[in-house]
Amino acid sequence: MPATGWLTSIAIGAAVSLSLLTGAHAQVKEAAAPAATRATRTPAPAEAYVYIGWPNDGEVLRMRRFKVWFGTRNFGVAPAGVTKANTGHHHLLIDTTLPPLDEPIPNDKNHLHFGAGQTETYIELPPGTHTLQLIMGDADHVPHDPPLVSKKITVRVQ
Amino acid sequence: MKHIYCIAIASAVIGLAANSATRAELNEGAHAYIIWPNDGAVIPSGKFWLRMGLAGAGIAPAGIDRPNTGHHHVVVDSDLPPAGEPIPNDKKHLHFGAGQTEARIELPPGRHTIQLVLGDADHVPQNPPIISKKITVIVPR
Repeated sequence: MPATGWLTSIAIGAAVSLSLLTGAHAQVKEAAAPAATRATRTPAPAEAYVYIGWPNDGEVLRMRRFKVWFGTRNFGVAPAGVTKANTGHHHLLIDTTLPPLDEPIPNDKNHLHFGAGQTETYIELPPGTHTLQLIMGDADHVPHDPPLVSKKITVRVQ
Repeated sequence: MKHIYCIAIASAVIGLAANSATRAELNEGAHAYIIWPNDGAVIPSGKFWLRMGLAGAGIAPAGIDRPNTGHHHVVVDSDLPPAGEPIPNDKKHLHFGAGQTEARIELPPGRHTIQLVLGDADHVPQNPPIISKKITVIVPR
């Protein structure tokens, strides 16, 4: 499963060195331009939005490993590094708040990147209450303007 | 097993094999499915958002050649198009080359079939093709 490999590599990247986060990020970014703060962000149409199709807000999950599917409406998905109007790729935020909107989304265990254009994944979380939220990133992993952010949902893993 | 199957196909249809040999492949286990509507759903207005699911692979817009990606095509009231050729672009074959994963669909009263087939950068189905189950929706008169 590519998603599993992706998560694994992210986990390894995060574990190896948090202080070298930028380096780990560049590794996953493939051939994209170097990470840098930018004055202008990629525009997104007002009617575009993203949402978490599953699980539902408040869902009680009986399994630690569960599927999350990413909903996108009036907007398209493209892998990281691909510059095309009205597209982006998903980032899943776990148990964290929104990152700064004018720089690349961090790449660690709380910010999972789906730069291969994935529209669903499986994640495994320890028992307890967790929050999930999606945010789209452009070719360089920077949020759009306005940012495409899903509702932040809460799930309970039994 | 998969390889034996491919060889059998290649032996059987030399011309097609020569064509499909150049087609993009997705990771084993990749599959497309229709998240919504459910098979057999009755849709009173005939208007709905079709939600397209893809597991084990990624979405890339048409024209973008990346490993293990493709873009969705929706086949309405039709059989699957021929393998190894670009998917037709008409009212029975809807292209979502901008990387969309949802589409607003409007259907007249009657029974309709809907099926997904993934296409590569050139709108040609992968080898083997990534297709969803063909579902039926009913729009009452």
